[in-house]
Amino acid sequence: MQNAVVSRSEWLNSRKAFLAKEKELTRRKDALNKERLSLPWVKVEKEYVFEGPEGSRTLGELFGAKDQLLIYHFMFGPEWEQGCQSCSMAADTINGNLAHLNARDIALAVISRAPLPKIEAFRKRMGWSFPWLSSFANDFNSDFGVYFTPEQRGGSGYYNFGTGQHPSEEAPGISAFYRNKGTGDVFHTYSSYARGVEGLLGVYSLIDLTPNGRNEGALAYPMAWVRHHDRYQTA
Amino acid sequence: MSTAIVDHEVVSAAKWTEARKELLKKEKELTRQREEVSRLRRELPWEKIDKNYIFDGPRGKESLSELFGANSQLIVYHFMFGPEWSEGCPFCSFLADGIDAAEIHLKNHDVTLLAVSRAPYAKIAAFKERMGWKFKWVSSSGSDFNFDYGVSFQKPGHNGSDEHARAEERIEYNYSTMPFFSEEMPGTSVFYKNPDGEIFHTYSSYARGGEAQLIAYSYLDLTPKGRNETGARRDLTEWVKHHDKYEEPAAHTCCGGQ
Repeated sequence: MQNAVVSRSEWLNSRKAFLAKEKELTRRKDALNKERLSLPWVKVEKEYVFEGPEGSRTLGELFGAKDQLLIYHFMFGPEWEQGCQSCSMAADTINGNLAHLNARDIALAVISRAPLPKIEAFRKRMGWSFPWLSSFANDFNSDFGVYFTPEQRGGSGYYNFGTGQHPSEEAPGISAFYRNKGTGDVFHTYSSYARGVEGLLGVYSLIDLTPNGRNEGALAYPMAWVRHHDRYQTA
Repeated sequence: MSTAIVDHEVVSAAKWTEARKELLKKEKELTRQREEVSRLRRELPWEKIDKNYIFDGPRGKESLSELFGANSQLIVYHFMFGPEWSEGCPFCSFLADGIDAAEIHLKNHDVTLLAVSRAPYAKIAAFKERMGWKFKWVSSSGSDFNFDYGVSFQKPGHNGSDEHARAEERIEYNYSTMPFFSEEMPGTSVFYKNPDGEIFHTYSSYARGGEAQLIAYSYLDLTPKGRNETGARRDLTEWVKHHDKYEEPAAHTCCGGQ
């Protein structure tokens, strides 16, 4: 790999021209963020109860003292031995950011269909301390579009606001909720799936700055190089 | 601190999905645009580095070449921590709270990620321990590195200019000029080392160019309140603190808060 090698002044000229494109992207993202805030909400009428290390918790209780709740839908099926590698890469960033999110009136919980003992064992192995609860006994994952029955996997499974075939019974995503403290009403405000969660992988924001970029063209699938953080040879 | 959202539109699931799909189209367009910008970034020319920069870190003195370790690509986070400061910048710390998580994956994808500051290494080591970070962080004290990569600046008047001239002095930052703000500014620089050991500067970004590295923002942007930065500066400086300095009130775990 070798790009053109130029003088300082030529490098600066190219860089400044490219900065204009980066700024356009930033402005467009700002505009989209604004638009996202104006999405309508849906009232959550169903009562979901999750199993966590401190017992059962309703969706409303996951807010703690906060008005806003983010749920990361972590792929970890009931029969699986461990959680998904790519979800683990996203989860690696959660502990470091939790204090900041909490300071912004946001509670965050991770939810998977695996039974709690499996979640707890894996969470300890990975060294994570964020709240992670099991939706094993409820329809949460199905209702929020991150679990498919064997029949749905064949082509009728609804994911990322469309139907199609699914390589796995579990899929990744993130959902946002708002709770009215006065009435206790909980509203579903937003969900995002597939590449919609790419921004939560800090890794790609950095890789996109490197000369090689993502460099995933020769791999079986884009994230095939990702391992659990304790499973890299150099870890 | 928390302000309730009142009178937000509430609709049926079907109507919500309709609105959500419209937004999804635009989200996908943004993803495509981001890919295109990343592709163009990789086509930028490089500049060869002939200066020998020496850094002070946990392994003693190391050259820029040695900082690459076993990888051919190096990302330097320019962490604002001036020689006289008693601690690193809280906003750089906010970004740095995501580095450990990224670093372990990056180093297995031919990328070395580390931080560089002008503070002497002893100060860096003490602050790093306080913050509980593991990533490599070296000092560029005594070298031109921070000045050459546009993240450290002389205070106005350092050359003996009078008060009037000082007020007029501008710095070059983020490929433009602006009034002096601080001796240290944030940024990210990327380097490539070829098999012959030659080093090239491939990319640097500053100011909001580093925003995509703030993973907490990626989460905040999905919440009903968004970034919710309503102060005079409308940016993170109005709320971000070192992660050990937020004063959380006693936890209320009951449903419905107080």
